[in-house]
Amino acid sequence: MSHRIFQQARVILPGQTEPKTVDLRVHDGRIAEIAPNLQPAEGVDVIDCRGRILMPALCDAHVHLREPGQEDAETIESGTEAAIAGGFTRILAMPNTDPPIDTGGMVGFVQSMAKTRSRIPVSVAGCLTKGREGIKLAEIADMADQGAVMVTDCNHALQDAYVLRRALEYTRHFDMIVGVYPDTPALSAGGVMHEGAASFRLGLPGIPAMAEEIGIERELRVAAAVNGRMHIQNVSTAEGVASIRRWKARGVNVTAETTPHHLLFNHEDLRAYNTAFKMMPPLRTREDQEALLEGLCDGTLDMIATGHAPHTDFAKNLDFNHAPFGIIGLETALCALHDALVVPGKFSWSQLIERLALAPRKLLGLPGNAFEVGAPFEALLFDPEEKTHISRDTLKSRSFNTPWLGKTLQGAIQQVYLGGQDLKS
Amino acid sequence: MKTVTPRKDLLSFDDMSREEALAILDTAKPFKDLFTRSVKKVPTLRGKTVLNLFYEPSTRTRTSFEIAAKRLSADVTNFAVSTSSVVKGESILDTIDTLQAMQVDYMIVRHSASGVPEYIARHTKASVINAGDGYHAHPTQALLDAFTYREIYPDLQGKRIVVAGDILHSRVARSVFALMHLLGVEVGTFGPAPLIPPTIPDYVKVFTRFEEVLEFNPQVLYLLRLQLERQTANFFPSMREYHRVYGVTTERFRRIREMGMYIMHPGPVNRGVELVDDVMSYERSLINAQVENGIATRMAVLYHLTPEVKTRSGETEDHA
Repeated sequence: MSHRIFQQARVILPGQTEPKTVDLRVHDGRIAEIAPNLQPAEGVDVIDCRGRILMPALCDAHVHLREPGQEDAETIESGTEAAIAGGFTRILAMPNTDPPIDTGGMVGFVQSMAKTRSRIPVSVAGCLTKGREGIKLAEIADMADQGAVMVTDCNHALQDAYVLRRALEYTRHFDMIVGVYPDTPALSAGGVMHEGAASFRLGLPGIPAMAEEIGIERELRVAAAVNGRMHIQNVSTAEGVASIRRWKARGVNVTAETTPHHLLFNHEDLRAYNTAFKMMPPLRTREDQEALLEGLCDGTLDMIATGHAPHTDFAKNLDFNHAPFGIIGLETALCALHDALVVPGKFSWSQLIERLALAPRKLLGLPGNAFEVGAPFEALLFDPEEKTHISRDTLKSRSFNTPWLGKTLQGAIQQVYLGGQDLKS
Repeated sequence: MKTVTPRKDLLSFDDMSREEALAILDTAKPFKDLFTRSVKKVPTLRGKTVLNLFYEPSTRTRTSFEIAAKRLSADVTNFAVSTSSVVKGESILDTIDTLQAMQVDYMIVRHSASGVPEYIARHTKASVINAGDGYHAHPTQALLDAFTYREIYPDLQGKRIVVAGDILHSRVARSVFALMHLLGVEVGTFGPAPLIPPTIPDYVKVFTRFEEVLEFNPQVLYLLRLQLERQTANFFPSMREYHRVYGVTTERFRRIREMGMYIMHPGPVNRGVELVDDVMSYERSLINAQVENGIATRMAVLYHLTPEVKTRSGETEDHA
């Protein structure tokens, strides 16, 4: 196990856009050699990768593991197994559990649980304010000492720019990222889907795009004024992308993410009141989809995060107005993006790896896993010809709230490697 | 009568053709004629069970459906559902499974959330009639309105209607727009700008002044009921101002009468808000006719639908 050669794998090497066929030698969990043809020494395991893509394993900076508090929807164990099934070896767990992760003690507790229940390392985010109430800063230094890398109130958007300002200032001494969910609750309250022709037709209360646009613009202005380190979650609007582009050009220290579903669906897909299409922010328009893709291509948006949000069948079977927001995403992200963007040539393999593996790892302060000699070997083996069927039987997550349920996607993850371990059986 | 593909449910007009809408309206006519006879009942739905499943309080619509079903000789049950338990998370599916076991043939569903009748329809073999869901649709209301309109103008092609009031929160408006458009009626609307979103269908003409409504000269002015809580959400400043700018005031009523315009309203009326009291006794107010026609139209809808509920093999309907 300590010495292996991955033979004739299609690999996207740093600085290249197209896959090259190479051999890759791994020694003690690190990449030891990359060359067109390697002669296996005696006793070296050889893995035949012909026709398959070997790529850096993925990292998701936005995952709701639901434990503690909502173990009927997901647990640390089931959530991380879902991550492995989807090709992720690193995730950032969000703090909106019950009770919320808003103290150093809670951060330590979740990390110690993850050590025994998860086969992959789990990074933890803490709350920005106590109880996610948006009023009083949580003890950020305590949480940083316990290893938290981000503070965020998740979908409780900060209503108070003063609190955001102080958070961005205070975190500067602790190497801590402030994660913001941009929204203007006064404009979005009561809404359940994007406000537009589809919401009128379906008779559902709308969430206007300006709720997010104003939120993003406000957050960026505060970050610019106090020189804070901010990460914008869940960007869904074209105007939001434009704001981030403008402020990044002025040097604001900000990163941003969008999700696979905001890239691949829009509000017109929301037929028959299927609550697997209900999420916050809501699915927007075709124009927004295009702007998000453009933002990922030019680097305005740094990464794709799934926002994996498990909910039980019971909760999602409520009517559209009352069902909770959010969908699971870990197990569909790679195949769905491959199927809809890489196969038709809208997104290159190198872009996908950057946005779904390398950039989120950098955000979380983890060692890079780009294929370079000496780098940790965290990788996945992907067959672009095979298909993946998404069903209740195949999903490892405890919840099934995904719009891809019952769908078949082009591409399949065959193995996930973490150092010397093969994570998929 | 033209034949149309059997339909299990009536949820909205999204998938309905003009022929089918006309077929339902034509069927309602003989049912209405029945009401003048001493025996008002026909045996059409004898042995069938119709269930009123109202998650939102409504005496008028529920009673209208109940009378319609009884005049077709169906057995009618009102299933009382507490609205609060739904919000608490009691599954609608649990209720549907229970009712499915009782072999119900028709379910009349009203719910405050859009999409619930559609959801129920997907999970039951019974025919589901949407009796109003959220802001989405209220198809039997629109059908009875069209029936009432056709009693005066048998051919609606090229006729005009203006729907006035709170379009944003109105399932009646959405269904009336859709059905009138389907029947070839030119549709206009009038009301406070925050309640008339730019996302309404393209075929609806938006008027910003009452004078424009008069110039359009619709045969029917359709006033929607204004929910009194809208003013607290600042959609408009006050009832007084609403009435002055968007309501049928005494002065406007005089003009309407001069022009011979008909008035419709789905009820119940807020006197002094949508209209002044005088309109209620106006000879061209169709408000009472709408209520009366609700029964015949709903009979026609029940008659028109085909549940998937099967009898045991070898048994025919007659033996049951």
